[in-house]
Amino acid sequence: MDSTMILDLMRSGIRLTTPILLAALGAALCNRAGILNFALEGKMLLGAFLGILSAYWLHSSPLGAFVAMLSGALLGSLFAFLYIRYKVDLIVLAIALNMFVLEMTVFFLRSFFGNVGTWSDPSINQLPDLEIPLIHSIPVVGQLLSGHNMIVYLSWLATICLYVLLFHTRFGRHLRAVGENPAAAEAVGINVARIQLIVLMLSGALAALGGAFLSIGHLTLFTRNMSNNRGFIGFSAALFGLNNPVGVFFASLLFGTADALAVRLQNVTDIPPSLIQFLPNVLTIVALVLIALRMRGKELVARMRFRSRIRKQLAEEQAQRGEEFA
Amino acid sequence: MAKHSSGKQLTNAVLIPVLAIISGLLVASLFLLVSGSSPLRAYQELFKAGFSCSRLTNCNLFQTLQLATPLILTGLSAVMAFRSGMFSLGQEGQFLIGATIAAWLGYAIHLPPVLHPIVIMAAAMLGAGLYGWFPGVLKTRLGINEVITTIVLNNIANLFMTYAVNFPMRADQGTTAHSPLIDDAAVLPAFVQGSKMGIGLVIAFVAAGLVYIYLWRTIPGYEQRMAGQVPLFARFSGIRNEGAALRGVALSGAIAGLAGAIEILGVHHRLLQGFSTGLGWDGVMVAILGQVHPVGVAIVAVFFAGMRLGAQIGLQAALQVPRELGGGLIALMILFVAVQNLYRGWIEGGREWFQKRVRRGDPVQK
Repeated sequence: MDSTMILDLMRSGIRLTTPILLAALGAALCNRAGILNFALEGKMLLGAFLGILSAYWLHSSPLGAFVAMLSGALLGSLFAFLYIRYKVDLIVLAIALNMFVLEMTVFFLRSFFGNVGTWSDPSINQLPDLEIPLIHSIPVVGQLLSGHNMIVYLSWLATICLYVLLFHTRFGRHLRAVGENPAAAEAVGINVARIQLIVLMLSGALAALGGAFLSIGHLTLFTRNMSNNRGFIGFSAALFGLNNPVGVFFASLLFGTADALAVRLQNVTDIPPSLIQFLPNVLTIVALVLIALRMRGKELVARMRFRSRIRKQLAEEQAQRGEEFA
Repeated sequence: MAKHSSGKQLTNAVLIPVLAIISGLLVASLFLLVSGSSPLRAYQELFKAGFSCSRLTNCNLFQTLQLATPLILTGLSAVMAFRSGMFSLGQEGQFLIGATIAAWLGYAIHLPPVLHPIVIMAAAMLGAGLYGWFPGVLKTRLGINEVITTIVLNNIANLFMTYAVNFPMRADQGTTAHSPLIDDAAVLPAFVQGSKMGIGLVIAFVAAGLVYIYLWRTIPGYEQRMAGQVPLFARFSGIRNEGAALRGVALSGAIAGLAGAIEILGVHHRLLQGFSTGLGWDGVMVAILGQVHPVGVAIVAVFFAGMRLGAQIGLQAALQVPRELGGGLIALMILFVAVQNLYRGWIEGGREWFQKRVRRGDPVQK
């Protein structure tokens, strides 16, 4: 493999990372707020579908991406309404939504555009690639980081923004408090419902933007099941990245690069591509186990300290009592 | 059923799915109207094509029952896990593991006719059972959310199946990767020529009965249900909750693995790339609409299978309505089950009114 090939691989890795990263950021945000959001898959597919349709109708692909985000946020707010007001089971709702979007996008394509599940139109423009002025002129780095479309840069920006939001603002602190113990958060006066609403809207918008990247950023077409499990892969990436936006970024990069590598290696070597895609998934399970073990360990240490302290106290009391007796 | 659930629960268990089905049909008819076809005609065609039987050799109902077989089993698998308090969504992965083991043993070992499928099914159940047991251990020992791990394990199983069918088990360089045909001795026979409905269906219905007996009529099953429903009560009565939950997910995995084995031995006779897209999710949906009960699962599985087939033959072939409407209908019904809290109060109110009206005369009758 020479340097151009590696560069090519990394660029395609970045492209394949973007939708996973956007879904993973949404998932991480929800996980931090203590909500299991499995609907990311469906919201992503809906974003891909509405993104390309509105790019076609409004004759502008940035507007298409915006409409996709809006739809994701709206769907998120609907979920929040049902969850907060009626205590609806979000997982069951998500399973139904994922399936509904998967089937009905194809239904509408077939009913109105009369074809077999793949749709495109020559009038749709792909999102333009942006050249970043300064970085563009740096030899290797420029080739790697410049010349992607706006959703790629938006996903990087979102990573930074979410990191700041989660760990350096009051809102983020409240959000994490809600995730750890909603009842306690409520008791100290945090508006739990408001936080859940905002989190569900934001994550919906992020996932839908990731979908729009698939249909008008990466390619300019829509096919049946275009998101193809990326919502769930994003979920895994969020866990692997410990629900910390920066960690999530690198975890998504690993998943995305594994995808890119799998595609490339298929042509070059005999290494089975699924084995490479295997790796990040297995690492996710390993990461989950390690986190749990660490928690368990901390608990054990805390318990032992507590016990020894109590024992000491008891012993002192007994000694005192002994003195009184004497 | 009436013995251990009061009349109120029974009416709820029937009313909610029925209301969900009706609302699903109503909402989907809006989509049909928008796309320019008559809902009444479409539904007529859908159910006619899904559940009719004109000749013995060309019977849609048989095909529906064949399609229902894996749905019943994956649905039962979900019931077994949900009732034990584990929200395991790993049916898809366990199904694939079972199918891969079955396809491999189908051509790798050679045994006499009756023995061969039994050995294969046992092996598939064991393998998939272990695959279901693993997230259970992670949950009970380390407290890792089983919903999350089963989703990741589904990804892993899917990749494993893709790897197996493309590399070690690949038969030839055809366009779709597939494994060699299994031995004739391993095939589960069909009842009627031209249809693949066979022993698998019988196994599925027997499994439904066994799951019911196990969960509601035996002590281990009772322990599982109590550990799932009222964990604190179970602990105080001396039930080992962790053990019960582990048993639940292991059995759940085994049943999903059996579904995979039957799908290979009875229908495809080989492993095909992408032969199961979302069968596991369908199982979860069957369990949800079937009120997490074996009887409900059996009914709903046949109903779903009929809608899928009816959408394919009745809608797409006869009326040019896209067959995706069948899946959309199923999803809508689950949506309406999911939001049952919205209309639950309304049902209660209706029942109270009904009881007042009908039973005003004799207050003794309950």
